[in-house]
Amino acid sequence: MAETIDRETEHAQDRRIQLPAPTAWPIVLAFGCTLAAAGLVTSAGFSILGGVLMFAGCVGWIRQVLPHEQHEAVPVTARAVTIASRRALVERIRLGPEHRAHFPVETYPVTSGIKGGIAGGFAMIVPALTYGLIKQHSIWYPVNLLGGAGVAVWTNSTPAQIATFHWTWLLIAILIHSVTCVLIGLLYGAMLPMLPRHPVVLGGILAPVLWTGILHSFMGVINPILADHIDWGWFLVSQVVYGVTAGIVVSRQERIPTSQSLPFIERLGIEAPGLMDSRPDAGPPRNKEER
Amino acid sequence: MADRTLPIPGSLDATRLRDAALLEWLHSWVVTVDHKKLGILYVLYAVFFLLVAGTEAMCIRIQLVVPNNHFLSPELFNEFFTMHGTTMVFLVGMTIIFGIGNYLVPLMIGARDMAFPRLNAFSFWLSASGGLFLYFSFIGGFGLYGMGSAPDITWWAYAPLTEKPFTPGHNTDYWALSLIVMGFGTLGAAINTIATAFSMRCKGMTLMRMPLFVWLMVVTSGLTLITITPLTAAQIMLVIDRYLGAHFFDAQAGGAPIVWMHFFWIFGHPEVYVLILPAFGIASEVIPVFSRKAIFGYPAMVAASVGIAFVSTTVWAHHMFTVGMTSVGNTFFVLSTMMVGIPTGIKIFNWIATMWGGKIRFATPMLFCTAFLFQFLCAGLTGIMLGVAPWNWQLHNSYFVIAHFHYTLTGSFLFCIFAAFYYWYPKVTGRMLSEKLGKWHFWLFFIGFHLTFDTMHFVGMLGMPRSIYTYEADRGWSTLNFWISMGGLIQAIAVLIFAWNLIRSYLDGKEAGNDPWDAWTLEWSVPSPPPAYNFADDPVVRSRRPLWDLKHPDDPDWKYEQ
Ligand SMILES: [Cu+2]
Repeated sequence: MAETIDRETEHAQDRRIQLPAPTAWPIVLAFGCTLAAAGLVTSAGFSILGGVLMFAGCVGWIRQVLPHEQHEAVPVTARAVTIASRRALVERIRLGPEHRAHFPVETYPVTSGIKGGIAGGFAMIVPALTYGLIKQHSIWYPVNLLGGAGVAVWTNSTPAQIATFHWTWLLIAILIHSVTCVLIGLLYGAMLPMLPRHPVVLGGILAPVLWTGILHSFMGVINPILADHIDWGWFLVSQVVYGVTAGIVVSRQERIPTSQSLPFIERLGIEAPGLMDSRPDAGPPRNKEER
Repeated sequence: MADRTLPIPGSLDATRLRDAALLEWLHSWVVTVDHKKLGILYVLYAVFFLLVAGTEAMCIRIQLVVPNNHFLSPELFNEFFTMHGTTMVFLVGMTIIFGIGNYLVPLMIGARDMAFPRLNAFSFWLSASGGLFLYFSFIGGFGLYGMGSAPDITWWAYAPLTEKPFTPGHNTDYWALSLIVMGFGTLGAAINTIATAFSMRCKGMTLMRMPLFVWLMVVTSGLTLITITPLTAAQIMLVIDRYLGAHFFDAQAGGAPIVWMHFFWIFGHPEVYVLILPAFGIASEVIPVFSRKAIFGYPAMVAASVGIAFVSTTVWAHHMFTVGMTSVGNTFFVLSTMMVGIPTGIKIFNWIATMWGGKIRFATPMLFCTAFLFQFLCAGLTGIMLGVAPWNWQLHNSYFVIAHFHYTLTGSFLFCIFAAFYYWYPKVTGRMLSEKLGKWHFWLFFIGFHLTFDTMHFVGMLGMPRSIYTYEADRGWSTLNFWISMGGLIQAIAVLIFAWNLIRSYLDGKEAGNDPWDAWTLEWSVPSPPPAYNFADDPVVRSRRPLWDLKHPDDPDWKYEQ
C-alpha cells in the first residue's frame, strides 16, 4: 500500500510560480500608525513623524498594487514527498447491541426497601443476641453496646457493667436500631433501580460489607470507646443477615414499571391525550388492558 | 525558520560576506508578505512575550510567597499584575492564535497564501509595534512614582479609576493607546482569515470538508470582529475623556462607569472564546491523528463551534453580578451562562468519542490534549459555579475567580498551544522536537499547573481577594500561597525546558520528513518546511481527510462521507 508520490519532480523543469512581491510599505505604515498614537504620551514630534510615515506608507502601498499588483516569480524546486502509511490495516468499529445503554423496564418500588429494612432489623437481632450469649454470656451486652453509644454518660465501662440490664439503654438501643434500620432500608430502596438484576447479592451482601468497612475505618474517630468493644466479625455477620433478609423481602415484592416502559412522548412530559391515562377526576379512566 | 545558506565562517572575506548575508536575511523577514514567515514572526513574538509575562507572574508569586513581603514595591506590583494580564491576553494569546492560524490556514485549505498578503504583513507589524509601544511604558517616562509609566489599572481597567483625576500620569494612556493600535492589527488578521477560508479553498474543499482547525479559526475571527470593535470604541471614549475632557465614564459629570464595564465585558467574555476556540481546533486536529480515528461528529463539532460563538456574545454581564443589576438581568445572565455548557459539552463528548476504541498513542501533543480535556472540563464546572449569581456574590474578585480563568487560559488554552508546538514544529522547521524533553516539559508543567491552580481555588474560598499586594500572617493563607508559588516555579522550569527544546531541536533535532505523524490534512503533503509557494500543483480533495484517501486507496473516506 505504501506509495511514493514524486508529484513535484514531474513538473520541476524550469517552472516558476508567481507570488506577491515582498514589500516594506506595510511595516512603514504600521510603524507610522503606532508612532502617531505614541505621540499622545510622549511629544507631538512623534505624532508628526508618524503621520509622515503613514502618508509614505499609503503612497508606497498603493504604488505596489496599482496599476498592477507586483509579483515575484519563485522557481519550483524539486523535493520528494512521501505520502504513505505504515498502518495498512483499517479496522472499523462494529456497533452491536452491547454498545447500547440498558435501562431497566421494571424495578422494585422504594417502599419495598423500607419493608425489607424493617424485616432485616428483626432478623439482625438473632445474630446479635447469639453473639452476646456465646461471647459475653449476656444477651444485654450487644444491646448496651448500641444503646450506650447513644448516651454521653457511658465512659470507662467494664465488660461486666455492659453485660448487665439497663432500662434506659435498652430503650435507646431500640430507638437507634429501628430508626437506622428504616433509614438504611430507605437508602436501599432508593438504590434498587441501579441494581435491578440481583438485589439479594448486590444489596444484601455487597452493601453490608462496604457499610461495615466504612464504619470500621471511621468508628475510631466517631466513638473510640465503642470501637474498642465491637467485635467486627460478628458485626459483619449481623450486617449480612440484615442485608440478605432485606434483599429476600424486596425480591418477593411486586415490580413496578419504570419510566423506560412509557412512550417517549410521555417521558418528555408532553400531555398527549389518547397516549396517557387521563386523571381520575377528568373523565372515565381508560381500560388498563388496552395498554 | 532561517534558511540555512549563511557562508562558512573563516572562508575568504567571510566577515563582509556574512554581514551582507545576515543583512539580506533580516531584510527578507522585514519585507515578507509570505503567510508562513509572518506566522513564524507572530509565534516567535508571542513566545518572547510569554516569557516576559511569565517572569512578571513569577515576580507576583515571589511577592506573595510569604505574608508581609516587600520583594516588589506596591506600585510595581500593580504594574506587574496589570501587565501580566494585558500581555498574556493581547500580546501572547491573540498573537499566537493568529500566528498559528496564519501559518496553517492556507496550507490546510490548499492555498498558496492568505487572501490579502500585504494586509497580513500590516496586521502583524501593527500588533508587534503596538506591543513594543505598550512595553515602552516601562522606560518611557518617570511616571507618578518614578517607576515608569507602565499601566497599573488592572487588565480590565475599570472606570472611574482610569479617569484623569485618579490616574493622572500616562499609565492609562499607554494601556488604551497601545491596545487600540494592536486592536486594529487583530481586526486585519481576522478579516484576512475569514476571506482566506471563504475564497481561497482548493478544488473539492467544500465548507463541510474544511479541517476543524480552519473552521474554528473562521469562527474565532468572526467573534474577533464582534468583540474587538466595542473594546476599541470604549478605549477611544476613554482617550477622549482623558485628553479632551469628555465625561463618558465620569459619574460626577453625568457619565456612567458602568458603561465601561458593559463595553469591556462584551469584549472580555467572548475574548476567552476567541482564545479557546482555536485551541479546540488544535485538539480537533491532534486527537484524531493520535487516536488513529476520524473525528467523531464533524457536523456537530462545526455547529457547536458556531453555537459557542453565538452564546458567548450573550453572557457578558455574568462578570457584573456584584454591580447590582435587576433580578431579571441577573436571571438572564445566569441562564445564558448555563447555555454555554450545551455546545461545549457536545465538543467534550465528541473528543472522547473520537478517542474511544482508537489506537491511542501518547506522544507529547496527545498528552497535552488529553490533559486539556480534563482541565477544560474542570474549568467549565467552576465556570458554571461562578455563573450562579449568589455563588458569584460570595466569590467575586477572589482567588477562586483567578483559579477558574487560569484553568481556562493555562489549563486549556496554553496546553493546546503546547500541543500545537509539538505537533506542527516538524512542519515548520523540518525537525522533530525532542520527545524526551517534551515529556519532561509536559509532566513538570502538569504538576506545577495543578499545584498552583488547584490550591488557588481553596485560598480563594478562604477569602483571599485578587490583586492584593500582601496579606497578614494570621489569615490562614500563608501555607497555601507558599505552595501556589512553588507550583509557579515548577511551571517556570517546564517552560524553560520547552524554550530550550525549541532551540536545541532546531539546531540538531531528528529530521522530520513531510509527514512524521502519519496525519491526514493537506499541510502534511508538502515538504517540511514548505516551499514559498506551498503547493507546486493545486491539490484536489474529495473528503475531510485527503491524505487518508491517498494512503488507503482501497478504503477512502469519500465512500463514507456524505
Ligand atoms: Cu465570562
